[in-house]
Amino acid sequence: MTRTLLALKLRLFRNGPHDERAFSLVTGLVLAGGVIAAAVLAAREVIDEGWILLALTGWGAMWLFGPLAQPRPEPSVVSREWLRGLPVRPVRLARALSWPELLGVGPLITGVCLSSLVVLAAPGGAGPVAVAVLAAPAQLHLLVWAGKTVAALAAGLLRTRAGMTLAAVQTAIMLAVSFAGWVPVAAWLLPRLGDGLRLGRAVDVLAVLPTGWGFSAVLAARESDWRGAALPVAGLLIGGAVLRGCWIALTARALRRPPRRASAPGYRRSLPVSDAVVFRELATWSRDPARGVELRSAWLTPVLMGLIVAGSGWWWAVPLAGPAVAVFGAMVAINTYALDGTAIWQLLTTPGAPRADVRGRMAAWGLLFGVPSVALSVVLWAVTGSPLGVAAVGGAVAASAVGCALAPLLAVVMPAVGADARNRVHAVQRAGDPTGGQMTIFPAVLVAAVLPGAVAAAAGGRWWVAALIASGLAAVALTVLPPVTVRLLERRGTGLLDAMQRV
Amino acid sequence: MTFSIVTAAMSGLPGLSGLPSSRIRSPPAGRPPGRSGHAVEVSGLTQRFGSVVAVDQLTLTVPYGMFYGIAGPNGAGKTTTLTAVCGLREPTAGTIRIAGHDLRTEREAALSQLGVMMDGLSMPERLTAAEALRYTAGLRGLDDGWRVRAADLLEILGLDTVPRTLIAEFSTGMRKKINLALAMLHRPRVLVLDEPFEAIDPVSARSIELLLKQYVAAGGTVILSSHIMDFIERNCRRVAIVAGGRLLAEGPTAELTAGTTLNDRFVELVGADPVRELDWLA
Repeated sequence: MTRTLLALKLRLFRNGPHDERAFSLVTGLVLAGGVIAAAVLAAREVIDEGWILLALTGWGAMWLFGPLAQPRPEPSVVSREWLRGLPVRPVRLARALSWPELLGVGPLITGVCLSSLVVLAAPGGAGPVAVAVLAAPAQLHLLVWAGKTVAALAAGLLRTRAGMTLAAVQTAIMLAVSFAGWVPVAAWLLPRLGDGLRLGRAVDVLAVLPTGWGFSAVLAARESDWRGAALPVAGLLIGGAVLRGCWIALTARALRRPPRRASAPGYRRSLPVSDAVVFRELATWSRDPARGVELRSAWLTPVLMGLIVAGSGWWWAVPLAGPAVAVFGAMVAINTYALDGTAIWQLLTTPGAPRADVRGRMAAWGLLFGVPSVALSVVLWAVTGSPLGVAAVGGAVAASAVGCALAPLLAVVMPAVGADARNRVHAVQRAGDPTGGQMTIFPAVLVAAVLPGAVAAAAGGRWWVAALIASGLAAVALTVLPPVTVRLLERRGTGLLDAMQRV
Repeated sequence: MTFSIVTAAMSGLPGLSGLPSSRIRSPPAGRPPGRSGHAVEVSGLTQRFGSVVAVDQLTLTVPYGMFYGIAGPNGAGKTTTLTAVCGLREPTAGTIRIAGHDLRTEREAALSQLGVMMDGLSMPERLTAAEALRYTAGLRGLDDGWRVRAADLLEILGLDTVPRTLIAEFSTGMRKKINLALAMLHRPRVLVLDEPFEAIDPVSARSIELLLKQYVAAGGTVILSSHIMDFIERNCRRVAIVAGGRLLAEGPTAELTAGTTLNDRFVELVGADPVRELDWLA
């Protein structure tokens, strides 16, 4: 069975799709090549070998946190629904499935990266090289199974409502750290520039982590401390075996579990008939598993960013969390037509529905993200008394209007089609990757957020200019863009339906 | 006389007493005032997908008040035809008129006459059945009468027993039922139904069949595709048999099936797979 599954995975690789895999492979090999080059420099004592440990720790962190940032529906080669029907004990099936998991771009580029350990060991002679040749695959074994186990745990968690919130919190933390993480670093670093940067004791701490055991083994071997080299390698092998056992247990449990459906709703509030689309949108944002995670992360990320900035003592920048709500709200609303899937047929067969739908989506977005964005700016301005308060409020107004009008337009123009709405019950089910749309709307809304404050500053700090620019941008966006969206929806709607039916 | 009694008299089916028939207060409209012609007119419909011709010069005419069936094997072009009839695909060639309105030039007027139920498509998945009806009523801007019709449809189709279940959680039969309810809520003159009985249980099939009979008895027009020859033979007054995108036969069901069953006639026209004994089964 293992051989059949390995062959199946290889065939799946051969059949594609290749784009994403090729991109990951090339990017990964470039990064791995960078680590090997750094190892060559470290072996010649040009740079501190602690940098290699730092790189390997970062690589290991990607294995651990990657599955949390981008959870995948199936921890196996083929659909679990299909495998569930096989007359094979789940544990046996999970064990057989574990081997094909080792095939993939991730293990390949990590293996290349870990060959830097051999480079690092080379100056020590044959003994340390032999240890490195053993330590590199052992380290790979541990990282792969740690990553797979985290992915399986995340997939299980995301099948619950609490898991949806947890996923949103994780995403929000990662986004907040990505966008505002530089603030505390800058606040720490700026006063220390000129003293020279040293890793210092950080290396000792990183070497103790499991991601650094392979590195520790090589260093010990180079100093002929064979016992010190054997212990981390044994730890890697045992740890990898234990984690593989955990993955097998989790996968077997998932194979035993029958498919579950979404929980019953608690939403029974009656709304006027004229607000039909707004009602549908608000219900969908709260109940759709993919939208639910995105809604929560768009609300949480700016709050966390505000906390990070406040913790660094840069109080003047805190009100900018308000416009950030609009920016993230626009980014998460970029794919709503594709997420609603083939349900678009109802709009296309109902006279006047495209116009009502676009207006309704915009109104719901305004309620969920626009109003909170402006309100947060005002409150944080009042609390901090920041000199950037007016710029933040103006930015929130402009960004909200642009995000509100542009998100439905890009949702029609750049849909990322994934599993159809009727087939998505859990957040882990593939809902299309809207990165292209997000990368398009992000700069547009960011510019709208920055423009009122920037123009006002250029005009000598006259803040009424910020209000004027914000109002003007909002008026133009809300007047010009919606009719374009309606026309495109009417013209391209059947093509969009066709594309979604083909997936 | 209530509509169920009319329907029962027409069909001779004994089991209609379970329906709250007296609550179907507003019959669907038949022929629109001031309009002549047919409910649906498809003329020279051709649909190409690259080099594949899915529908080839298909011409159909469906009179008002007709229960009309389209039968054909898989890949015959049934769904493609109905998709074009309800405006979800621009035909390569040909014209489609709904209640006298050209679908290409008077799209909104044509669509306002239609109720659509397509197979295998999503609906507002994160709403309950009642919420989806309320949403649809709002989307169409219906007057307050929709509330009574929605309550009737939920009851007749047995959807009021699952008031808190999202459409995404519905079984195939329940999905067909809510789809039919959404299609009928605005009392359209024409119902276009793609495989309404595909993969559903007999109880769901029966409630859908009885509702459609009431609708036609009240003057509505149904055009549907189905593999279920027994259903078409029992209910449809006219039938079209298509294969390979072409019309093989069309006419009153009674004439097409004269002296035989619709199933036999269908196999005769479309052709059957080879039948021979398999030694290895012994």
